[in-house]
Amino acid sequence: MSDKNHQDDDMTDFAMNETSRSSVTSGTGTVLPGQERYVASLDETPLHEVDSMDESAPASNMWTDAWRTLRRNPLFIVAGVLIVFIVFVALFPGVFTHQNPNYCQLEHSLEKGGPGHPFGYDTQGCDVFTRTVYGTRTSLSVGLLTTLLVVIVGTLIGGLAGFFGGWIDAVLSRFTDIFMAIPMLLGAIVVLQMFRTSSSIWKIVLVLTLFGWTQTARIARSSVLETKNLEFNTASTALGSTPLRNLVRHILPNSVASIIVVGTTSLGSYIVSEATLSFLGIGLPSTTVSWGGDISNAQAILRTDPSVLFYPSAALAITVLAFIMMGDAVKDALDPKSRTA
Amino acid sequence: MGKYLLRRILQMIPVVLGTTLLVYALVFALPGDPVKAMFGDKPINQAVAAQIRAEYNLDKPFIIQYLLFLKNALTLNFGNTFAGQPVIDEIARAFPVTIKLGLMAFVFEALFGVVFGIISGLKKGKWYDAVILIVSLLLISVPTFVTGFLMQYFIGVKWHLLPVTAGNDPGFLDLLMPAMVLGSVSMAYIIRLSRSEISSNISEDYVRTARAKGMTNRSVIVRHVLRNSMIPVITYLGQDLGALMGGAMISETIFNIHGIGFLTYQSILKGESNMVVSIVTLLTLIFVVCNLVVDMLYAVLDPRIRYA
Repeated sequence: MSDKNHQDDDMTDFAMNETSRSSVTSGTGTVLPGQERYVASLDETPLHEVDSMDESAPASNMWTDAWRTLRRNPLFIVAGVLIVFIVFVALFPGVFTHQNPNYCQLEHSLEKGGPGHPFGYDTQGCDVFTRTVYGTRTSLSVGLLTTLLVVIVGTLIGGLAGFFGGWIDAVLSRFTDIFMAIPMLLGAIVVLQMFRTSSSIWKIVLVLTLFGWTQTARIARSSVLETKNLEFNTASTALGSTPLRNLVRHILPNSVASIIVVGTTSLGSYIVSEATLSFLGIGLPSTTVSWGGDISNAQAILRTDPSVLFYPSAALAITVLAFIMMGDAVKDALDPKSRTA
Repeated sequence: MGKYLLRRILQMIPVVLGTTLLVYALVFALPGDPVKAMFGDKPINQAVAAQIRAEYNLDKPFIIQYLLFLKNALTLNFGNTFAGQPVIDEIARAFPVTIKLGLMAFVFEALFGVVFGIISGLKKGKWYDAVILIVSLLLISVPTFVTGFLMQYFIGVKWHLLPVTAGNDPGFLDLLMPAMVLGSVSMAYIIRLSRSEISSNISEDYVRTARAKGMTNRSVIVRHVLRNSMIPVITYLGQDLGALMGGAMISETIFNIHGIGFLTYQSILKGESNMVVSIVTLLTLIFVVCNLVVDMLYAVLDPRIRYA
């Protein structure tokens, strides 16, 4: 008890010494004329107004910051409007056309556009406008589902590799290298040969995922590696967090930005890949309305009637463009390094 | 450096083995019996069928088949196709064409990609920057085969500037348009990559320091900004060189070029498993070696990276 008191006394002594010493130094400094330090009075410069902080306002974080940057970016607005429109067309194609995309009459073959059929007809006498509208759903589903699966698989494998390091990292990284070394198109063709009879879009989604997850895994790995060694993790560990809690609460939320960026940007490339596979004749069967299939059918009549090829290609290009622009905007907003530029 | 190289080469071994095993498993899991297909409509002679199966090692368990394939591949003996042709002969016939096409595409994308990327990165906001950016976005969002058709239609058929298709033994002019189509998407990516690298590097502190030292604008750009900006671009180019060989499939199909891509596509459709596995093995090797070369180049370009 007495010991503690003594200690306390010491500390007060020390504190007193400190204050007295500092007051001495400031007191003894002789100020020559013309050397007075000018201190603006608070009335003249209302600093408190500038520095004051609204403490009741919700705390800002990376996501609200990013959202604020995004809202002001014209690229984001254009891409956002386009994507909302594309999603709407994919969900409710019936709003835009009352026809059945598979209802084709040969007597209309290659007829020019007229009222109700603005884009004309293809070789089989199908309405190009209706097929373009209905193709939206296929392409968009393939793009979105593939991106979703790629992000899940890639984050899981890359995240685990980066988080655990050591031999787990070595094994998972070599595993990623193996899949990365197979060209996507080549691998996809080999696998799709096995499922020629299936007509569901899932076969395309799964095949694209099988050869597409490697990029996300690499980015997730390096991002987790980078975040793992940052100070807030050490601090959190010092406060008694388990590694798992660190992973879920700190590492993943901080790594997710780069994964979102690569996901948004590659969404478009999956849509292009689906179209390419349909062009090679091993993608979706002709019963499924898809832009890729329509473009590849229109190829034969390119020299006589290029408009049949034009419309589905344009729809595809606009969709991919919208997602690339969205990816760019999100990247600008989430990556503080590129924000300054 | 020597130690690092050795470690990298040792790391390549499991990757090459894994990739070939994966492709082998995928290809031989393909439905259909190639031996049955050889007989066509004729009744199957069991004795002959068994002999053929033995010849192609089809009677052995999968893993033995794979090991035998590897053993033979080491001596560049890839066996015969089911049609009886030695696989290596077919590859040797198709490969030079694809190498020519791939290198032309590579030079095209590297040259135009970097030049346009630099122009647009240094002159951000000018009208030609906007034009370059829009064209590169369009090239990315339009599928290669559509770009290919359009170029074939306009440049080849309508304006007669370049040959429409390339036949056997194509020359430089025959391959020019296919190479442009093959390299177009990568060129667009390189433009975007170098543009964003340059514009972010130009506001770095070391650039300001260099200017403060009194360096001329020209040498600041060339010796500091460009040198630092080109590192990611070279990574991309290195990975792409390997990918171009595999990606040649579309452009070879459109322009009727009998190269590796065309051969692979035909072999997959015909179920020539031996051919597919052999080609993919070669492509994987090329891809892995390209990546290694890129990593070695890093040390030359960036003095901060030193491999112990």
